[in-house]
Parts: sequence; structure tokens; C-alpha cells
Amino acid sequence: MTYALLITAFVISTCGLIYELIAGTIASYLLGDSITQFSTVIGVYLFSMGIGSFLSKYVEKNIAFTFVQVELLVGLIGGCSATLLFLLFNQIDNFRILLYSLVAIIGILIGLEIPLLMRILQDRLDFKDLVSQVFTFDYVGALLASLLFPLVLVPYLGLIRTSFLFGLFNLGVAVWTIHLFRNELPYKNTLKSTAYLLIFALVCGFAFADKLMGIAEAATFQDPVIYSTSTPYQRIVLTGNSKDLRLFLNGNLQFSSRDEYRYHEALVHPAMASINAPKDILVLGGGDGLAVRELLKYPSVQTITLVDLDKEMTVLFKNQGMLTRLNQNSLNNSKVKVIINDAFIWLRTIPEKFDLAIIDFPDPSNYSLGKLYSDTFYKTLKNVLKPDGMVVVQSTSPFYAKNSFWCVDQTLRSVGFNTTPYHAYVPAFGDWGYVIGSLAPFKPASQTAYPAGLRYVSADTLPPMLSFAKDMLPTVSSVNKLNNQSLVHLFESEWGEYVDAH
Amino acid sequence: MSTPISRAVFLKVLAGCGVAAVAGKLALDAPYLKGSREKIRCRMLGPSSKIGHRLRAPAGEVKISGTATTKVTIIGGGIAGLSAAWWLKKHGIDDFLVLELEKEVGGNSSSGKNEYGAFPWGAHYVPIANGESTYVRQLFEELKIIQSYNAAGEPIYDELMLCHEPQDRLYKDGSFHEGLIPKRGLQANEAEEIARFLELMSTFRLATGSDGKLAFTIPLDFSSQDAKFTALDHISMSQWLKDNNFKSKPLLWYVNYCCRDDYGSSTDNVSAWAGIHYFAGRRGTAANSEPNAVLTWPQGNGYLVEKLKGPLQSKIRNSLMATAVKQREGKIVTNCLHSDDDTYTAIESDFVIVAAPRYVAGHIVENQGTHEPDHAQMAKLNYAPWMVANIVLKQLPDARGLAQAWDNVSYYSDSLGYVVSNHQEISTRQKPTVITYYFPLSQMQPKESRQKLFTATKEEWSKIVIEDLRSMHPGIESDIFSIDFWPWGHGLIRPSVGFIWGETRKQMKEARGNIFFAHSDMSGMSNFEEAQYHGVEAAKMVLEKLES
Repeated sequence: MTYALLITAFVISTCGLIYELIAGTIASYLLGDSITQFSTVIGVYLFSMGIGSFLSKYVEKNIAFTFVQVELLVGLIGGCSATLLFLLFNQIDNFRILLYSLVAIIGILIGLEIPLLMRILQDRLDFKDLVSQVFTFDYVGALLASLLFPLVLVPYLGLIRTSFLFGLFNLGVAVWTIHLFRNELPYKNTLKSTAYLLIFALVCGFAFADKLMGIAEAATFQDPVIYSTSTPYQRIVLTGNSKDLRLFLNGNLQFSSRDEYRYHEALVHPAMASINAPKDILVLGGGDGLAVRELLKYPSVQTITLVDLDKEMTVLFKNQGMLTRLNQNSLNNSKVKVIINDAFIWLRTIPEKFDLAIIDFPDPSNYSLGKLYSDTFYKTLKNVLKPDGMVVVQSTSPFYAKNSFWCVDQTLRSVGFNTTPYHAYVPAFGDWGYVIGSLAPFKPASQTAYPAGLRYVSADTLPPMLSFAKDMLPTVSSVNKLNNQSLVHLFESEWGEYVDAH
Repeated sequence: MSTPISRAVFLKVLAGCGVAAVAGKLALDAPYLKGSREKIRCRMLGPSSKIGHRLRAPAGEVKISGTATTKVTIIGGGIAGLSAAWWLKKHGIDDFLVLELEKEVGGNSSSGKNEYGAFPWGAHYVPIANGESTYVRQLFEELKIIQSYNAAGEPIYDELMLCHEPQDRLYKDGSFHEGLIPKRGLQANEAEEIARFLELMSTFRLATGSDGKLAFTIPLDFSSQDAKFTALDHISMSQWLKDNNFKSKPLLWYVNYCCRDDYGSSTDNVSAWAGIHYFAGRRGTAANSEPNAVLTWPQGNGYLVEKLKGPLQSKIRNSLMATAVKQREGKIVTNCLHSDDDTYTAIESDFVIVAAPRYVAGHIVENQGTHEPDHAQMAKLNYAPWMVANIVLKQLPDARGLAQAWDNVSYYSDSLGYVVSNHQEISTRQKPTVITYYFPLSQMQPKESRQKLFTATKEEWSKIVIEDLRSMHPGIESDIFSIDFWPWGHGLIRPSVGFIWGETRKQMKEARGNIFFAHSDMSGMSNFEEAQYHGVEAAKMVLEKLES
């Protein structure tokens, strides 16, 4: 029995240290500044252990009974700690209060464990052996925990599963202790059934840890999620409240209904209005139909061909009421033909020629997207334009990623386009950039060429859009090619300065 | 009731913790816990070595059930044979046949295809062409791989075919870094040695001999015969490195990697001339790429095979193995076995181009006068056995420091790493992908390794491959759908010491009357340029004789 209890000391000390490490790690993940987080978590935890040790003297009888109760509580709270921290991060105003309360509660309970255990053992061992052995097992457990945590637990199980697993160990200790003291414990059966119930709950948590993580991630959106789906290409999430509808692809904001008109008017009208009676328009990307909505404001337009990779996206924007109200049902217009294909591959196969091609791809954040901004791609694009045709390319932010922006401009020029770079302020995104590539020199339109009812672009607002402040001018120059992917390299380094390594 | 704990018990407990930690890690590393409960589907494919081996057993008199006549018989549908046919057709000769043992032409440039795309089974790239590689340039112009030339005369290549960025990455010290030359964690002297080596190679790249010719050319037969350079063929690459005071591990690893990559052999078994040729031979430039860029396609050099094959469809006879080539009264008779129905046909022609590997040629071509096949020559040739595996992955493995490159290599592996076959695709779709994994059996003697290659089961091979990939990408096994293996018993010829500028190779190039030979074996290096060169040269000799 003595050995059994000493092993208990070992297990509970391992569990205790694991909870502390979990709290420290999650705090570093979510709040950053790992030195502060670890330091404060350890401090609060050790101090709370002191409180627990102090409180242990008030337990006067039925020590084993109290010990089992403490184990059940540690198992429950410690086991669920990671899940609680992740799930509640976005739900509560002051995360630190939750974090330190949780750490304190676990610390107090852990602080109770060892004194209680020593008192259980006091009749079985001499004092010097008691102290030596209990602490030996205690510290060996701590070593094991500190090795297992970074090497095995975090990489293979993840934080949520690890915390459930060690909760289960605490519950195991409780069951074990109930068994050892089966002859002296009051309420034995109640304790037992509570333990089994908790074990069942934690096993479920362990098994469905992925689902829990999913819920925790969904909680990162500001507004209620009103629709979400996973397609083979991306995770589409729509959030909304009474005033604002937002679309996220893989967690990145695509538009906010409050200001998307700025983005789409700027994307479409400067080029579109400058063309004399444009007839055939190509849209690559832009499955939300918002650019198409702007195009349909020109009565001369006869065909709009929209090519998007993701069928789900276009189906959604064709059928979902809230979204068709936003894009004014543009994708269901008889002039619009939707094609689901890879833009680059499709372009190489078609005989049609267009007056204007609107390129609304995601930013060049990886090598496969980088290919859609390459000189080879623009050469291919040139082949599907009419002699006086034009392209306009969404080209990321000339403020946050100025060299990336100008790289798009230079790449277009390298294949023979006359370029007209410009930018617009879209509150949800910041200062955003576009480049017009035209086969003939670009002439800005007079006000009469713009359709009525625009809220942002006009003949008067265009000139300032065409001018760039000094802090938006490039410091390096390069052409993006398939065999150098210089845009992706630029984009990574420039946005890397603004966005967390997430 | 005192039970004090002895020191022994304490130590046991400590040891127990250690064992528990290690066991825990191993258990969690074990594939069965990583979600790969469905078994990975493995298949052993490969060239018809069984049919090939029938050559070894003398067939005695065979019963000929059919005859055919043609002007030129080309034996072998690899790059050499297809190039010979390409050249003949280009110069107005239409009366020829290409005999191919396998169901498809291609040889070492074979490729495969599945629902996720095409992938190579062997050779997978060609460097942009040197100035002197005129046949390569001619083909590239014809296939529009070279689209035009700029004002400075530099070729403009089709950028869809130039290897897209990122080209290669090396796994070292826990993550990948760019390029194949070790960069991370180098001591100052190691970095200095690498720089000195590369500098020296640049000197060799521009060096010319006393005969005014470049020291290292592609094809290599154009190289200077200055003894200053050819003497390098008398020592091994490892000897040369030692003589030149190259000792640091990262550099030796890199040079050894390159020799294993191109010659399937370690620096001990490659002549210094060949070893240096790898670095100094390539001088290609282009208007639209870095010097020494490479051209590649999803199906590797299978792309070039398809293009060459296109206009030759009616000339190619598949599943047909030449078993004997004999000169008879001014004509040449080639007996061939149909592997489908085991019948023999005798093809009579004025000329034969033997574009099969030379160890095969040694078996089938009668020596003039003796009427006996020439085994002696064959015995001197040294081939590297290889295993190639095409692995279908649910998704590309974790990037680990640097996004997936075309060529992905580990500093710690006996394999050559893997190439990503859809690297050149312009699709942004995420879908399962195929990676092609290369494993030269360069550690053992060829005969032993061939034994290992064919006796190990597909399960044993898949264990080797998965273990190796896991060291770069932990957990990759749960993303593997299937693995297909293709053992190459005689993968690449090895340019062992003395071979390139020795007597054997000289003899190999000699024609026997109207029987000509064409194979990259005759260069001692297995690559597209050499194979094509010998194919075209053989065709030229036929044309010459036809004209006279």
C-alpha cells in the first residue's frame, strides 16, 4: 500500500506540472509574450500551491475522503482546462482573470494533494523516510512531465487532448485511492460513480478534441457565423449582424458589406468607363458576383464570363437570399456565364476575345497563387484580349506591401502592357491597390462615361487615386516569373511585418 | 511499518521514467497510431526483366513464323532509338521500324499516369542546352521548347517548362533550407571549402585544352583531349577531392550526392573526370532564366518521349524483343520474339541501329566472322541499380521551414529524395499529388544490390521508403494512398575510373559493317543529351552510307 501511495505522489505531481505547462503554453499562444506568460503562470501556480498547503491543516478527519475529492476536482478542472481556455478566449472580456483563476484553483488543489498524501502515509513511514520518499517521487514526476510535454504530448496529442489525458490520470488516482481505502471511506459508492461519470466525460472530450478545437476556432469571428461550409479549396464563412455582412475565406476577410462597394467600384469602373462601349468582359476569380454587379451597370455589355475555381462559392452567391441581395442577383443575369475551372488552364484553351479582363484573385500568398501573377500568365491573358483590350488586376496593398504592388505593375509592363497603377481606400482592408494594363495608352473617362449611382469612383475622384505618396513607392524592382516567384517572396516578407506568423 | 526506499529502487524508478518516455515516443511514432489504419496499397511494377533474361539462355535454333523487310531496323525505343528515328524521318527516310521490348517506348525516360496526373519513372529533367549541344537545340526549337532567340542570341525558353520556383531544398538540422548545397550550421572552414570547390568548378567550366577545345562539353565526345584533363579519368572523384585538400563533411556530402544523383554511384566509384563534368559541363544560358536552369515536366522526360513518339506511331513495334542480329549476304537479319504470343519474326534490313543498352547488344549482336555474340565487352560495363517509387499523397507534406520545392532532399538519407510531379502545374486546385522517390543502390556492389533490388518484397521496400520519408516529414504515412515501385536492375551506366577515356568505350562506338550502335552507355553517362547524340550520330552514319 505504501508503494501504491508513493506512485500516486508521482502521478499527481506529473499531472500538476502538466496543467501548469498547458496554462503557460496557451497563455503564450493566445496572448503572446511567452516570458511574461510563463513567469506569471508559474508564480500564481506556486503561490496557490502554498495556499493549498496552508489550507490542508483544516482537514482534520477523513483525510483519504478529502484526498479523493481533491483528485476528482483536479481531474475535472485540470482535464478541461485547455478546452476552457481556448473556448472562452473570445467569449469573455478579460481572459487573464479566467486564466489566473483557473491556474489558482488548480494550484490550490495540487497544493492540497501532497500534504494530504503525507498525512495518509505518516503512520506507515518514519518522518525522514516519509519526507524523502514523497518528495523524491514528486520531483521525479516533475522531470517526466517536463520532458514528455514538449517532446511527446504537444507534438502528438496537442494541448486539448493532453489536458484531457492527464485529467484522466488524476481520476485514475481517485479510483485507485477509493480502492485502497475501500474499507474506511464514507460515501464510497457516490465517490465511485462520480469518478466513473467524470472518466466517461473526459474520454469523450479526448475523443472529440478535434471538434472542440473547431468550435474554438469558430469563436474567433467577431459576429455570429451565419453560414459556413468547407469546399475542396477553402473554408467559406459568412458572419453577419444587422448592419454588416462579412465573407471570410480560410479565415481571411474578403469583404465587408459596409464598404465592399468601394473595393468593387474601384476595381471595375476606372477601366470599364474608359472603354468605348465595352461588350465582352472576362472576370477571373470574384465568384461573389460583386464585380459582375458593377459590370452590369453598363448597358453596352453583352457577355460576362466569370471563371472561378470553387463551385460552392458561385452556387452560394447565386442562391442565398442575403447574398443575392448584396450582388443584386448578378450571377443569375442572362448575360453572365459562370465557368468552373482553373483560370490559367482555361485561358490557354479558349478562342474568345474580350474588351476587358478583371482579375480578382486572392493575394499571392503561396507559390501556386504566385503563378497567377506571373509574366507567363499575363502573356496568356494578352492573347485573349481584343486589340484595344485591357486588364485590371487587384494587386494587394501599396501601403503594406509596396514592392509587391509595384512588382505586379512591372510584370504587366514586361509583357507589353501600358500600365496605370492606382489605389483606393477601403476601410476593411486599408489602402488597396490595382493596376490597369492596357494595350493602347489608358485615357481616364469623362464623368458622362460613368454609370449613374456610383458612390465612390467618379471623374473627380480618379486623379487622386492615380497619385502615390512617397511612402508607397517601390524600393526594389522585379518581374514575377514562374522560375523566380519573386512576388511571393516579396509578399511574404512585406506582409510578414504586419501579420503575426499565424 | 517502515519501508525505506533504497538507492537501487530510486534508480530503477528513474530508469523506468526514461524507458516510459522513450517507449511513449516510439509508440506514438508507430504508424498504426497515426491514423493510417487502412493499408497502403503497394504494387511492384517495372521493366520486363524476366523477358530480358531470356536472352541469357541461348535459344538455339528458333522457329521463325513470319518475316518482314525494311531499310533500317532500330532496336530499342529509348531516347537513343527515338532520336535516331527522328533524325532519319527529318532527312527523308521513311522506311524504318523501331522495335521495343516493353509495351511502351521510353526506356529510362518512361513515365506513368494516374487520376491525379502524370509522373516520371526515370529521367525527369534536362538542363537548358549548351551552345555545342546542337542536336538538343534543334529538337527544342522544333518542339517550341525554345520559342525564339533574343538579340544577343540567347534562347528564350517556354517558361511553363523551365523549372518553377522553388527548385530545390535540403533537409538539414531539423528543417529545410533553399538549394541543395548545405548552408545551415556550417563552420567557417566548411563554408570556405564549399566556396573554393565551386570556384574551382567555375574555372573548369571555362577551361580549354591545348587543342583549343573546351575541357568539359555536352556531348562529352566534343571535350578536349588534352592529357591535363583526360588524366582526371585515371583517378576516382574521392581521390581527386583528397588530392585537392577537400575534407569537410558538408562538401563531401554534396559532391557525393551529385555523383549518386547523376551516376548512381558514390565518389569512390566515379572517375574524377566524370565527377567534375557534372559541375563543369553545364554552361547553358537563356534569355529568360538563370544560367544552368533545368527544364522539367510533370511526367519528366516522358514529355520528350511523347513528342518524339508522336510522328513515329506507325513505325513503332511494341512488345517485340530482338534476340539475334546476324549479317547474311549483304543484308542484316534481326530475329525478334513477340512477348505476347512467344512467336518469332525475322526482320531483314540493310541497316540496323542497335539502340538498346550495350549489355543487351553484347548478347544479341553476332561478332563478325565468329557468329558468336560478344559477351566479353558486356562484362566490363558497370551499371547502377535503382529503385524508383511513385507515391500518391493525399496532400503535400508539411513544409517544415520552406515551402515544397520541385526537388526535395535530405542530408541524412541514402535516397536522393523526391521530386513533386505536379510542381509544374498551373492549377491552383488542391488535390492528391504524386511524388517520385529515387533510391540508387550505390552502397553495395552492383551484383549484390541487384539481388537486393529484386528479392526484397514490396512490403520491405515500402518500409524502407516510408521510414526514409518520415525522417523528413513525421506522420507522412497517414497521407500516403499508394506506392508503386519500379526496380531498375541496370539503371544507369557508371562512369567508373578509366571508362570514359579508355579502350572499352572506344570499341563500343565502332560500327560492325552496317550495324551501328547508339546508346548513352557509349558515353559512360546516362542522360538525355548523350543518348540523343548517339542516336543522331548513328542515323547520320546510315544516311552517309545511303548517299554513297
